[in-house]
Amino acid sequence: MAQVKLDIYRYDEASGQPPHRDLVSVEIPETTTVLDALETAKAEVDGSISFRRSCRSAICGSCSMTINGHTVLACKTPCNTVMDDEGAIKIDPMTNFTPMKDLVVHMDPFWDKYRRLRPYLQPADEDSAHERERRVSPEDMKKLVDAANCVMCATCYSLCPVISVDPAFAGPAAIAYAYRFIEDVRDAKRPERLAQINEDYLWLCAHCYACSACPKHVDPHDRIVDVKRASVQDRVMMNERGPRHALVVGRTIKQTGMLAETEVIQGTIGRFNVAGLLKVAPLGLRMAASGKMPPPFLKPIPKVDEVRTIFDTLEVPTH
Amino acid sequence: MRRYGFFPGCVAKESCKELFNATMLLAEKLEIELVELTAASCCGASVVNDVNRDVARVLNARTYAQAEALGLDDVITICSTCTGHMRAANKELLESEAHMDHANSVLAKFGAKYQGNVTVRHLLWLLVDDIGLDTLRSMVVRPLNGLKVAPFYGCHIIRPENVNGWESARAPHSLEDVISAIGGEPVDYAGKTRCCGFHIQLEKENVAADMVGQNMAMAKENGAEAVITPCPLCHLALDGYQADSAPRWGRTDLPTFHLPQLVAFALGVPAERLGLNKHLIDPRLVLVDRELIA
Repeated sequence: MAQVKLDIYRYDEASGQPPHRDLVSVEIPETTTVLDALETAKAEVDGSISFRRSCRSAICGSCSMTINGHTVLACKTPCNTVMDDEGAIKIDPMTNFTPMKDLVVHMDPFWDKYRRLRPYLQPADEDSAHERERRVSPEDMKKLVDAANCVMCATCYSLCPVISVDPAFAGPAAIAYAYRFIEDVRDAKRPERLAQINEDYLWLCAHCYACSACPKHVDPHDRIVDVKRASVQDRVMMNERGPRHALVVGRTIKQTGMLAETEVIQGTIGRFNVAGLLKVAPLGLRMAASGKMPPPFLKPIPKVDEVRTIFDTLEVPTH
Repeated sequence: MRRYGFFPGCVAKESCKELFNATMLLAEKLEIELVELTAASCCGASVVNDVNRDVARVLNARTYAQAEALGLDDVITICSTCTGHMRAANKELLESEAHMDHANSVLAKFGAKYQGNVTVRHLLWLLVDDIGLDTLRSMVVRPLNGLKVAPFYGCHIIRPENVNGWESARAPHSLEDVISAIGGEPVDYAGKTRCCGFHIQLEKENVAADMVGQNMAMAKENGAEAVITPCPLCHLALDGYQADSAPRWGRTDLPTFHLPQLVAFALGVPAERLGLNKHLIDPRLVLVDRELIA
């Protein structure tokens, strides 16, 4: 048994009072999960401590919270992996959400982003009666299994640094779940889905892998890349900056073997997009003043033909 | 003298040449030989994956084949993004015979073959594992006099953990250990493992600047006088965007050192050889404040 000290964020939106912290001690086996420690605290010390939970076994996705600064499922986090030498564990509501009561947050923005992507199958014969189930081959289903494992716990959304500064971004969970339908052979709305996800800033993913902390191994980042590839394959909104950037990076590597910074900036914004180029000009001028400009043209690396052979063999799109 | 294959990456050869130069000066002090893989291509920079699932893997297989042919299986990088993406490609190649065979079938078109012997590590890992913190400490001739330095890891040197895994992605401490070893005082702040926004700086106005501002405001609030990063992409974002983030996040003006610049400085390389004048936020001022340079 161990003395575990739960340092809990306390707040009640309805009270109009500012948040404060309570230190609640419980005597429990140290391998107990943080969720069970909270349950014990609620049952034995303070019945008003509020948090969401249901299944207690990483299936329902309800108990995401911030433990020692990182969003995790409390039911999947043993106390002895997070408590300090004095047995203390710092518990806060999920980041990137507005707190409602203690560890309970307003989930509405997260659900809204799901709903915008119509997270349900839309087959071509949706309205007609059909006599048997729609079949999918094991190979086709295999592509969807990881993404379909999402329990909508919002851990990835809470950890996403882009969401923290720009809530317009759809976020990792919604895009990963959109992938599950975009690649479903039974679904007939792939073009509409890809258009919608592009509108919702698919290309604003910063490649940071914060969402690799997904407790269900959905690997949202990899699913986001899958959706980008599907988007490029179907030539969706190809004149926007995201696809232009991806294509010009490949183009300069094929030409020179290197990522040519100057050309990538021009190619992403558009060589003739004067307004766009003027917006990045102040930083360019500051860099020039420090003698920090990338060269306007790059000399190709030795044996650059080999790089071109790779691009040609793999039929990598560059335009 | 221990020899390593050296993959500088694109940015250290383009807009962050001072990083390349500082790395070579540091190598001299550490008495190691960094042999540049001059015919290596870009690692794919996390972006080419967005249009094709195989190209980054095969490009990197070509680089590894070159390293093997030169007898330089131990490849060192100086960029977090190169580290993460080269390691991810290598993991796929080493764990899947199908991927390895596919890559080698393309490489065979120009007579190359990757045998699977290469390991990719960052210079930061070399400092800790090969040089050792105690040795590093003993080599310091100009300790940083308690300079309060905020570590900024960048994403791809720590995440995803199944690709990197050299240290905890949630609570890394190698940069703090290096800062302490060279006489500085590491500053802890939540932003140290967060994203700088570099990869989306052109995607939508202000998003990258806001990510920089958010992180630098945390560092400043916790007492940082300067920042150190193992990644030139983070460096470009942190050094470049603090001016733009100031209206929304307050003035931070934290100078950002490339990892090898500050280590080389502590090991006695003269400040004027480290390209500190190439930064937008001049890092020499904090060195003057701490009476480390005149």
